[in-house]
Amino acid sequence: MNVKKINRRLQKNGFAAFSVHETEDGLVLTGKSDNWDEIVNAGFCAAKKYGRTHVINDCVFTGDAIPPIRAPKLVDKAIDGMKPDVLVIGGGVVGAATARELMRQKLDVLVVEKEYDLAIGASGRNDGCVHPGIDLLPGCEKHYYNVRGNRMFDQLAKDLDIEFDRCGQTVVFDSKKLLPLAPLIKLYFKCMGLGNVRVMTEKKLKAFEPALRDGMKLGLFFPTGGVVCPYNLTIALGENAAQNGAKFSFDTVVTGMETQGGKITAVHTNRGTVYPRAVVNAAGVFTEDVAKMAGDRFFSIHPRKGTNTILDHKTVSMVRTSYSLISELKEEGHSKGGGIIRTVDQNVLVGPDAFETYKKEDFTTEAKNVAAVFQKQGRATERLRQSDAITYFSGVRAATFEEDFIVEKGRKCANIVHAAGIQSPGLTAAPAIAVALAKMCGEILTAQGKKAEKNPDFDPHRQGIPRLAKLPDAERAAYIEKNPAYGEIVCRCEEISRGEIVDALHRPIPCVTVDGVKKRCRPGMGRCQGGFCGPQVAKIISEECNIPLEAVRKAGEGSELLFGKTKGGAENG
Amino acid sequence: MADYDVTVIGAGPAGLAAALAADEKGKRVLLVERAARMGGILNQCIHDGFGLLRFGERLSGCEYASRYVRMVEAAGIETTLLTFVTRVEKKDGVFHITLVTKDGVRTVTSTALVLSTGCRERTAKQVGIHGTRPAGVYTAGTAQYYINILGEQPAKRVVILGSGDIGLIMARRLTLEGAEVLGVFEAKSTPSGLTRNIAQCLDDFGIPLHVSHTVTRVFGDARLEAVEISEVDEKMQPIPGTAQKIDCDTLILSVGLIPENELAETLGVTLDPRAKGPVCDQNYETLVDGVFVCGNALHVNDLVDYVSESGASAGAAAADYSGKARELAELTADGGFLYAVPERLDTAGDLSKTVVFFRSREVREKSQVSVSVNGETVFTKKYQRLKPPEMERIEVDLSRVKPGDRVTLELREA
Repeated sequence: MNVKKINRRLQKNGFAAFSVHETEDGLVLTGKSDNWDEIVNAGFCAAKKYGRTHVINDCVFTGDAIPPIRAPKLVDKAIDGMKPDVLVIGGGVVGAATARELMRQKLDVLVVEKEYDLAIGASGRNDGCVHPGIDLLPGCEKHYYNVRGNRMFDQLAKDLDIEFDRCGQTVVFDSKKLLPLAPLIKLYFKCMGLGNVRVMTEKKLKAFEPALRDGMKLGLFFPTGGVVCPYNLTIALGENAAQNGAKFSFDTVVTGMETQGGKITAVHTNRGTVYPRAVVNAAGVFTEDVAKMAGDRFFSIHPRKGTNTILDHKTVSMVRTSYSLISELKEEGHSKGGGIIRTVDQNVLVGPDAFETYKKEDFTTEAKNVAAVFQKQGRATERLRQSDAITYFSGVRAATFEEDFIVEKGRKCANIVHAAGIQSPGLTAAPAIAVALAKMCGEILTAQGKKAEKNPDFDPHRQGIPRLAKLPDAERAAYIEKNPAYGEIVCRCEEISRGEIVDALHRPIPCVTVDGVKKRCRPGMGRCQGGFCGPQVAKIISEECNIPLEAVRKAGEGSELLFGKTKGGAENG
Repeated sequence: MADYDVTVIGAGPAGLAAALAADEKGKRVLLVERAARMGGILNQCIHDGFGLLRFGERLSGCEYASRYVRMVEAAGIETTLLTFVTRVEKKDGVFHITLVTKDGVRTVTSTALVLSTGCRERTAKQVGIHGTRPAGVYTAGTAQYYINILGEQPAKRVVILGSGDIGLIMARRLTLEGAEVLGVFEAKSTPSGLTRNIAQCLDDFGIPLHVSHTVTRVFGDARLEAVEISEVDEKMQPIPGTAQKIDCDTLILSVGLIPENELAETLGVTLDPRAKGPVCDQNYETLVDGVFVCGNALHVNDLVDYVSESGASAGAAAADYSGKARELAELTADGGFLYAVPERLDTAGDLSKTVVFFRSREVREKSQVSVSVNGETVFTKKYQRLKPPEMERIEVDLSRVKPGDRVTLELREA
């Protein structure tokens, strides 16, 4: 590590106010700025892409106060004194998948999640693409886990009874430059393990994706790409873990750790102290904070925000698979640049964009960002219109300066494993990352003298909530005969029945909120955005779970929908 | 032979009137309703002002609905409640309608179809509200359902965006229930709701109306904590530097209604981008033979009386539907109109009492509406004042119109 060279590079590139020095943890970046982008760019300048020595950001940001973690107000002793073999911190896709993998062994597993449900962070706020790994080269962690994760999806979707469409991914070029290289491109991707990539010239491409604008010169179709509903996947993984005995504690934030001799001995939360043998750090944008608590901070996360827009079902014919345009216009940034994606629920998803932010949980949306995404993606098809948007949402990626995943055991802490820097293609990679993390946990436990023992009762299968609207009439009628509530439609836009909503309230990991139900079976996901079914869903929650209507929440703590009875409502009981 | 002569989808005021009219002609009628009771949105409208034209009385929405429901029940019309139409297909000139109920899935056949599917509210996302996604952002109709149907209070400190009628009604309703309505903000330079509602719902309760203002952002992670209000220019774009933050726990949106025509679209019905409902002729028959449309599915009405009227006309015409070829001429409204319906005239049918509904694009004083056929004016009417929130109705004798004639609706200064 040539620190001098890096410092010279910082000087030369206009980051004179910054410098690095080497510590036993990594490459520590110091400096001061009121401009967050400048700090991030200095980090990039100091870092080596895919490098294994990480830039640790100790810069002082003077531009604003960095908001504290969004922590639950709840304080109790719900998990106090628990001694799980493995404590998983984070109920995102990696945490849920890891918990499930761990259950293949006879282990006591506890997952803590600071939010009220699974997949509230980046896992529930992405485009759902299962990536072929087009731009990844062998040697980096992203490539390793993406290739393996991608291959696992067909079986995983079958086992978990979730929708997965291996529809492929198309990359479109509006320049002729690559045309002469077409035969080589095909060979290249074949060698890279991406299968039989289809190379299409203008005419074939137009026939393949008819909504593309004229004048697209070259299209590459990657058959191993796919789409999945990201929160559905995360919830399904979590549910299957729970069915196999994993425990989940929500509204539970890790507040500190006790370490002794390079080992975590206790983990403090707002719901009590637990004493795990091993800890999985799957805390997304907060992985650095968790690592720090364990005395094992050897990397830094710089949050990167992106916004996606969902369009009305009516527009779904504008995309058969998913496509993104690589234009001659120079593009900046570290993201593929988003695309137009046909979701498994037959909506069109547009986005995402990418912006650096110092706010790890900034889920707000901005009109200008949505407009910019439409302008950019509209270069691929003229059918894209903002007026077809039914909703938009933001997520925050947990990027490291090296732009690679960190999937490894603690460097200084003996009983932690980290899954950090899990941004795109994190969703694709998650099942493979989980396998690796579970293996590492097994090694940690073995080192502590706990013999590995297979869980003979492990069942990888999970049954989802039936989606009546997608069934043929006869099958649908059979369901209704068994349970007439399947014949009462509550959500008109997505055609969701009362029976499905009731099912969603009685899952292995129930989430008794309007948004929890919405994520599990889709009422309110349609064009009226719950305008009609919202109150009915609230009422079903109230009746089914025996809680007063005014206690029914939209989402987490403090999000109650109602303030109590009206004057007349009180009289009528 | 089909199971029914006429199937009416949606038992709100339009569908109830349509079913009654078809039944009066002695036809076999099926009335389909997805909710547990008939009446549609009227059931949650406990305020008065309904029925002045139809019954010559001021009724509440519930009373107005129940009068029609009683008539439908008295006539013995076959109705199916809690019934959802999942699919409609036209095969060999007959409609096959697939219905889902608690009893299962069944398909019925019908010679004619009346779509009285109503409308839905535009949402926060559709008007580009950004910021966080907290609880406490409701459309006016949702808030109305909570209060009037469930007896629950959704708000304490309220900002209302949009001066549509439901928003105005809710400003009063929330105030009566003890909430503090901080103001109604309207992006347009003129109010969207009826004048009488502004007087009775805002002025009488001292609730301020701010035109040329909109909500540009919402704040709060769990529950709404505040909204940012900005002044807007003539193009309704926020003017920088005018933003102010208002603390509130609830934002109510009354920002427009959209006719629900998803079912119609699956049948290949052409929509009018101006009226946002299906293009139809004077009998409310769409461009797909045998498919009729009425009420708010056709265009958003401000008076239920007109909804019932179009329902009755559509129902009667559907009962008379014989599959005989139509000979259509176009009725074109000039740019002075927001829209006008119908957009077509069936010259093979009766045009002697053609009813035209329209709204002006802008507020105008002293105007004249005229109808001309091939350049020759055949009808004029003068108005002291025209404004977009108030729909106008004219009845014109257009018997002379022949296929291919150019029929235009024009708006001029009087």
